Amino acid sequence: MLVLLLVALLTLLAPLYAGYLGVDPFRSNLRGKVEIAGEVVQVMQQSTEGLGLGVTPIGPTWNPGGYMLGADNQGRDVAARLLYGGRNSLFIASAATVICLVLATLIGLAAGFLGGVVDMALSRILDVLWAFPVYLLAISLSIVLLTSTIDLGLFTITAGSLALPVFIIGIIYVPYVARPVRARVLTLRHSEFVLAAVGLGLPTHRILRRDILPNLMPTIIVFVPILLALAIVTESALSYLSIGVQPPDASWGTIIQDGQTLLYSRPAVALAPGIAIVITVLALNVLGDAVRDALDPRGQVR
Amino acid sequence: MLATVLARLMQMAFVMFGISVLVFLIFFATPGSDPAARIAGRNAAPETVEQIRHEFGFDRALPVQYGLMMKRLFITRDLTSFVNRGQKVIPQVLDAVPATLSLVAGAAVLWVLGSLFVGVVAAAMRDTVVDRGLMILSLIGISMPVFWLGEVMNLMSQSRFHDTWLFSWVPGLGYVPLSESLGGWFKALVIPWITLAVLYIGIYGRILRANLIEAYSEDYIRTARAKGLSPTRIMLRHALRTSLLPFVTMFGLDFGALVGGAALLTEVVFGLNGVGRLTFHALQNLDLPVILATVIYASFFVVAANALVDVLYAVIDPRVRK
Amino acid sequence: MTNWTRYAALTGAAALLSATAVTAGAETREEMMAAHRGGEIRLVAAAAGGTIDPQINYTLQYWQLFYFTYDGLVTFKRVEGAGAGGVVPDLAEAMPEVSADGLTYTFKLRQGLKFSDGSDVGVDDVVASFQRVFKVSGPTAGTFYNGIVGAEACIAAPADCTLDGGISADAASNTVTITLTAPDPEFLYKIAVPHASVLPAETLQEDAGVTPIPTTGPYMFESYNPNESLVMVRNPHFKEWSVDAQPDGFADSIVFDFGLSAEAQVTAVQNGQADWMFDQPPTDRLAEIGTQNADQVHVNTLTAFWYVPFNVNLAPFDDVRVRQAVNYAIDRDALVGIFGGPVLAQPVCTILPPAFPGHEDHCAYTQNPGTDWTAPDMDKALALVAESGTAGQKVTIVVDDTSVMRDVGTYLQSVLTDLGYDASVNSISGNIQFTYIQNTNNKVQMSVSQWYQDYPAASNFLNVLLGCASFHPGSDSSVNISGYCNEEIDARMQAAMQLATTDPDAANLEWAKIDQAMMAEAPIAPLFTPKHVDLVSKRLGNFLFSPQHQWLMSQAWVQ
Repeated sequence: MLVLLLVALLTLLAPLYAGYLGVDPFRSNLRGKVEIAGEVVQVMQQSTEGLGLGVTPIGPTWNPGGYMLGADNQGRDVAARLLYGGRNSLFIASAATVICLVLATLIGLAAGFLGGVVDMALSRILDVLWAFPVYLLAISLSIVLLTSTIDLGLFTITAGSLALPVFIIGIIYVPYVARPVRARVLTLRHSEFVLAAVGLGLPTHRILRRDILPNLMPTIIVFVPILLALAIVTESALSYLSIGVQPPDASWGTIIQDGQTLLYSRPAVALAPGIAIVITVLALNVLGDAVRDALDPRGQVR
Repeated sequence: MLATVLARLMQMAFVMFGISVLVFLIFFATPGSDPAARIAGRNAAPETVEQIRHEFGFDRALPVQYGLMMKRLFITRDLTSFVNRGQKVIPQVLDAVPATLSLVAGAAVLWVLGSLFVGVVAAAMRDTVVDRGLMILSLIGISMPVFWLGEVMNLMSQSRFHDTWLFSWVPGLGYVPLSESLGGWFKALVIPWITLAVLYIGIYGRILRANLIEAYSEDYIRTARAKGLSPTRIMLRHALRTSLLPFVTMFGLDFGALVGGAALLTEVVFGLNGVGRLTFHALQNLDLPVILATVIYASFFVVAANALVDVLYAVIDPRVRK
Repeated sequence: MTNWTRYAALTGAAALLSATAVTAGAETREEMMAAHRGGEIRLVAAAAGGTIDPQINYTLQYWQLFYFTYDGLVTFKRVEGAGAGGVVPDLAEAMPEVSADGLTYTFKLRQGLKFSDGSDVGVDDVVASFQRVFKVSGPTAGTFYNGIVGAEACIAAPADCTLDGGISADAASNTVTITLTAPDPEFLYKIAVPHASVLPAETLQEDAGVTPIPTTGPYMFESYNPNESLVMVRNPHFKEWSVDAQPDGFADSIVFDFGLSAEAQVTAVQNGQADWMFDQPPTDRLAEIGTQNADQVHVNTLTAFWYVPFNVNLAPFDDVRVRQAVNYAIDRDALVGIFGGPVLAQPVCTILPPAFPGHEDHCAYTQNPGTDWTAPDMDKALALVAESGTAGQKVTIVVDDTSVMRDVGTYLQSVLTDLGYDASVNSISGNIQFTYIQNTNNKVQMSVSQWYQDYPAASNFLNVLLGCASFHPGSDSSVNISGYCNEEIDARMQAAMQLATTDPDAANLEWAKIDQAMMAEAPIAPLFTPKHVDLVSKRLGNFLFSPQHQWLMSQAWVQ
């Protein structure tokens, strides 16, 4: 929990850090110069040996004064981008989790409470989605949606906006949450107090709001840290395959991708965001364990 | 029983049908997905593009196109790729299977052994430093994105430490068929195996530990203890046996998904030309015939593994049979 | 045909930067053959290049192979460097006799030629091959070969294509006659490319896909699996008839393996597991191979350019000042850095690449306009944007997902932001980006693209990329990505093409002027001319490169 707060805090401080360094993490800096140990050097260094092929960004200076983790292919400060990228990664994960939980709860409620044909139809659709390997679904959707603008009536998602990965990640995990939610709703639907409420002729929305939802909350809350962790990893995988967050925006996944093209000469660019992901996801998993132990001791949710 | 199996088969067919329709629709919803111009080549005259469109049937109604494609995929089995024209899709998928199977089978051996070790040791030494350490390690394993771990592995074995004694044996990236060289096959796959297995060792180890601990509180274990059986015997003969059922279930599901192409990221990172990588490239190229074939193939394994596990359950546990 | 050798002389100015091209020296061809014949050349690429039908495939990857497997009536001379711009007789005995009105070309076929399946090459095969171009809806059927009499009918109804009146054979004199609807100074170029390869008459009238078609050159395709490899072996029926047109090869077989990432390809070549990599080495490895493998690296100029097409029909680029502003603002040296440094690319401001027919050094969009680009002029750019009043508008740059292209896009996004626009980048799969940016329905404002020559003529850049005839609104095949159509300049281009039939020098001067006139309206922003890096194994000798054929594989040896 503490670690999570720390990570969130650090990423929120990103503008401060960038301001302190006087760098713009979203602007190419191919001709930039930087002072290291009293010497002014180019950020992008042209190879002068042999045939003189290739331009390599400067490596880590390990000095918080600038280019602590070196520069990327655009001559931008990796450390500053890491913080900004973390903001996006956390934002996408949180928003996707919310979307996923809301959708899954609605579907679970509809299927579990209404039963009959609705349940049948929803369950079959979930079956189809469930048998579609998560990454394949995510990749298919991303490739399609990156080239088009979606108009959802209330709001539009333009290609390349952050809302796109949020939307995709939010959707693909719905079946995983909706199934247990539906199961729980079914149990509640046949519990004595709900049967009694139905018998009393209370309106459905009231039963849903007063009797079912509150009892459903533990099941849903258990999913929060798990989904957050999954969403962070999925977002980074999509961005790594260059179908997630679009440049110049950063996320931990896009920085790994930038770093992949520099893996041989500047491994720090790919290592740093990976470590950030591991720390965050690890903290989420620990939190997830704790929440599960507290709310779901019998391990119904997996 | 027969009815259950039939119902199950119907359900499988429905799910696979649903997925193929979904993929088909996703593909045709993409702007710029019209393959005619891409097939025709750069700077083709509009008339030529029109000819190609007609020849490939892209000017027909969607359901007709879907039907034709399914017919060519399943009945005449001569569906060909849009990108590598003339290349039949089915052999293409079948050619990719050995790499995926080698990767997943090897990783499965590693993760079963690894997680048995982690689970048993942690449960036996419950609440000690060893237990805590193993659990933290497992969590770290779960928390690492597999593609990143793969990159780090590549960095170490291909670049940074390639010339040291530790990694000098590592061959270049890519798959070496088993039929070509046993040693080459093994060397090429060791690092991908480890990379893929780490996540599952973490997950399975933790679950096994939890199940073992739960089993210890059951009556029959208490009885066994009271009888004075050795702790090792109790662990291996009694506790482990009951704890393995959920373990086997999960294994079946995960194995099915992985063989179906869920090892995509590992395959991409290590340049193994398996089903996952084939699917990814087909998706990138919007090569619909290949996408359809690989996705149907993938969902088949997911659904089949699911059904198999259900049937197994029914056999083992009569209560599920209703 | 002095016209053609003249082009060759012009392109001869091309700076050839072969680092350590093993030159033949004093050895004669016979001596080299005796010393180096045999062995297997192993090539690697990330992916296969599609069909191996030479009349359909339109990729550099396989054209490179087709040049030493198939032959047309004429071909580009197989020599190192820019001399390859010249057309020489191939399956034809000599250059064709051209009628005074420039409409009729008569070719006399060589005697005794055989396909790799042992059958004879006859005039009927030539006629059938030209018909087949249309019957299989070849990509260039409607753009290269539409000038042949009867072509229009063939394009409309490919199945019944006869090219009646357009091509006829006379078996007795062993001649083939081709008739055009209008004189075309580039016709010989168009039939020298692989799409006009001569195939056996009985070849199926559909895309051959992965099934090899018999060849006429020193090698033939033995087997092809796009997921594994393409195997080429010696054609047992090949007898060298012209060293200029189709020299015999050194290696006994050439194997092209697919499926290794560029990183892995570099390692494979370094370790001697492969002799050559098709893909360009990742920028990350350039410094390393430039020092550790310097004697295995060949850097050669390509007649190509990277450019930014502006959509002249969409805001804000419908305002010429905005297009000029971006041209002024782009730091082309910075882009050269992204591509790997000055050794690997050269900043350009003209549409025609340096050393290309019709190219004249000129740069309007730089500080101190003159012959060369020196530095961006941000002040001028900002002034132009302010004048246009478009600052603050949204601009999306569509690039493909290769790492260099993404970097170029990201840099341009930064430039546009500096100019005051709300810019973003959208990277989509490389396979669909090229068709996606062409279609006006997708409303792409700005993109990054590249163009490589098909043959060395100015119209292959100017008329193809920016002529009114290449703009097809709503179509995925509209290579005039900018949607630029200037009637006056178009008329000048038609005149220049006609002028080329009589006075190519004057025509090239006119092309240079057309280039400048277009750039004054800035429908595109030329970025740089890339150079091509070939990394070969230590054992590979006699590496020859020409801008037309790229590496002449058949002329290299491995023992």
